[in-house]
Amino acid sequence: MRALQGLRGPRAPSLPLLLLCFLAAVRRSLEDGLSTAAPFTSLPVQEEMMTEYSNLSLESHNLSVTAAPITSLPVEEEMMTKAAPITSLPVQEEMKTKAVPIISLPVQEEMTTKYSNLTLESHSISMTAMPMKENNKGNQICVDRGIMLQRNVTLERPNMPAEKNITLERPSNVELTCQFTPSGNLNAVNVTWKKGDKLLEDNYLVNATGSILYTQYRVAVINSKQMGSYSCFFGEKKQQRGTFNLKVPEINGKNKPLITYVGDTVVLICKCQDCLPLNWTWYSGNGSVQVPIGVPVNDKYVISGKHANETRLKITQLSEDDQGTYWCHAIFELGESEGHVELVVLSYLVPLKAFCAIAAEVVLLVAIILLFEMYTQKKKKPSDDGKEIEQGEQLKLDDSNGIENSGPRHRKNESVGQ
Amino acid sequence: MAYRAEPPDGGWGWMVVLSAFFQSALVFGVLRSFGVFFVEFVAAFEEPAARVSWIASIGIAVQQFGSPVGSVLSTKFGPRPVVMTGGILAALGMLLASFATSLTHLYLSIGLLSGSGWALTFTPTLACLSRYFSRRRSLATGLALTGVGLSSFAFAPLFQWLLNHYAWRGALLLVSALSLHLVACGALLRPLSLAEDPVVGGPGAQITSLLCHGPFLRYTIAITLINTGYFIPYVHLVAHLRDLGWDPLPAAFLLSVAAISDLVGRVASGWLGDAVPGPVARLLMLWTTLTGVILALYPVAEVPTGLVALTVAYGFTSGALTPVAFSVLPELVGTGKIYCGLGLVQMVESIGGLLGAPLSGKGNRISRWAMAAVFYHAGGGGEGN
Repeated sequence: MRALQGLRGPRAPSLPLLLLCFLAAVRRSLEDGLSTAAPFTSLPVQEEMMTEYSNLSLESHNLSVTAAPITSLPVEEEMMTKAAPITSLPVQEEMKTKAVPIISLPVQEEMTTKYSNLTLESHSISMTAMPMKENNKGNQICVDRGIMLQRNVTLERPNMPAEKNITLERPSNVELTCQFTPSGNLNAVNVTWKKGDKLLEDNYLVNATGSILYTQYRVAVINSKQMGSYSCFFGEKKQQRGTFNLKVPEINGKNKPLITYVGDTVVLICKCQDCLPLNWTWYSGNGSVQVPIGVPVNDKYVISGKHANETRLKITQLSEDDQGTYWCHAIFELGESEGHVELVVLSYLVPLKAFCAIAAEVVLLVAIILLFEMYTQKKKKPSDDGKEIEQGEQLKLDDSNGIENSGPRHRKNESVGQ
Repeated sequence: MAYRAEPPDGGWGWMVVLSAFFQSALVFGVLRSFGVFFVEFVAAFEEPAARVSWIASIGIAVQQFGSPVGSVLSTKFGPRPVVMTGGILAALGMLLASFATSLTHLYLSIGLLSGSGWALTFTPTLACLSRYFSRRRSLATGLALTGVGLSSFAFAPLFQWLLNHYAWRGALLLVSALSLHLVACGALLRPLSLAEDPVVGGPGAQITSLLCHGPFLRYTIAITLINTGYFIPYVHLVAHLRDLGWDPLPAAFLLSVAAISDLVGRVASGWLGDAVPGPVARLLMLWTTLTGVILALYPVAEVPTGLVALTVAYGFTSGALTPVAFSVLPELVGTGKIYCGLGLVQMVESIGGLLGAPLSGKGNRISRWAMAAVFYHAGGGGEGN
């Protein structure tokens, strides 16, 4: 009942949180044997799931789509007149008659028992089609029996589908929640889930609270087949959808090409931020063909790695054939991820040519300067006066001895005629 | 042999200014921008950054301690052959460094060899410059010293580009080729015979007479004190800003602003030093006192606008005092003894420079600025005589 009172006022950012907390409370009460009409009819299953996966990490992901700010009192009024708390909405009624939740029960049951050793992850996205009056951002944490449900609320611009990238390394149970606030009737909204383009038939729940529509999809991700893009659709409009992209962690190679010289040794490093792959493999690429690198080839290639999250490929005795792109593959249970490093092998002649060119230019400059000086001195020599700098003879001596090795100057000994 | 009674104050002197400009660029600009290479060295030799930065420290130390050698040689042989030899040594050091297989190799080739090459170039050039000018000495020195600031701007991106295209070995090879231009700059230094030359005698006699010269000694100590404080702000400014909550990018930008106002200060002070009649030492006192005051204000300023204003002012005044500091010396010791005089000053002031930064590291945020301010004031006071 208290939750209902909260609905009267302007839309509070904590409403979905309240709902989730309510969920938790209801679950707790269920445990005690109280029979309360719960928002989610599949609550008992969830209850079971929670007990089964209590040793797993819980990831909560929520998506919330809002078509209009919630001020429509009539809807709330409707709710108030119903007897059961938060459950007696037309949508909910419809849901009860639908076979969907019921059908999903056995599947979820199966899921729970089979994958009980997996971590549970919940992810959520909030979407608003209209700009919100209040601030709907932030992380809100709700704790239920030591398992944290973390909700990241993202505010999106109108007409833009909301998307969230989820990085998964180990097999886990993933729970994806979308919440949508339609501008019109909640019943009219058709909720669907798709993986890629394939329509998903089961494993999801729909619930409505106040004027917010929630849908939740659970999937046990055990191998790469379950990775990909999962989307929740509210109705037919394009912007009323949220997408969760399940991916393996990204590998960082190097963006700039590595420059080395013939005969040198180089170490190529691939690493990823917080991941622990099962295995690493290296390939060298020529065009689009990737050739795996076998280790024992005259000690030329040595694969090592100081920590589990990085791999090093050491190549000795570089030659120009070793030039190209090298790919490192990280193998996870849930798929493969790759990074690349580009290697450029130059011969020593390349900078050497530049060096010789510049050195020649310097010699030329010096020659010009000294010749110019000699020339001006020669011109001045016949018509000198006391104020002029008189170095002609000394200079000639210098030049005949070579530019670098000018002998000691004894100014006192010079005897140039005036 | 005709001896000039007066320095020419122009004519070929401007070519000497050009030569000094490029030389300060090639010596100090390279040193300042060398940090770009350090990142590569850390990765290539797998040594900590502190050990890699010793390369630059050794280079600077050798350059400053070796200054008297440069000045003695140029008194005897004239600046041209000395500077050209120095250029070859500096380039050779970089060339050998491109074949380095260990950090010690770099210490010896860049630090020792290039450092001694630099020692043979910088001091004789500035001294030669002082001999060519009398009325416009400060301006000429100021203009020449702008080479340092401008080259720091140009060389850092250039070195990064070289590293991206040739890796550090190739880049060092090309920096060596760049340093060869010191030889060309040396060729520009036409020897000048001034009336005082036969009077002052050989280098040995000059040094002994300098060491007994009261004003010279006071000047040396004053410059040393100033030098002790000189590097403190540059070393600690960024840390100070970070302590106050600045982001790294605006803090680095503020350093660039300081560098620009330093540049402007050098030229302006050079012009001013010549325009204002009377001994130049008074101007030096003015600038050092101002710098000291500005530094003392640093702990007080917390507002960003205040800090920016202070940094601009500090850059200006500290840049302003450099050409004036160099101009005072010829007035003190005369153009005849300038080579030896400058060499000695550089050697002694390097002690201050070496000590300044570590000393300041020991104090806390406020005491550092106070220390720097004290050094500046002490130096300025010593100059007042």
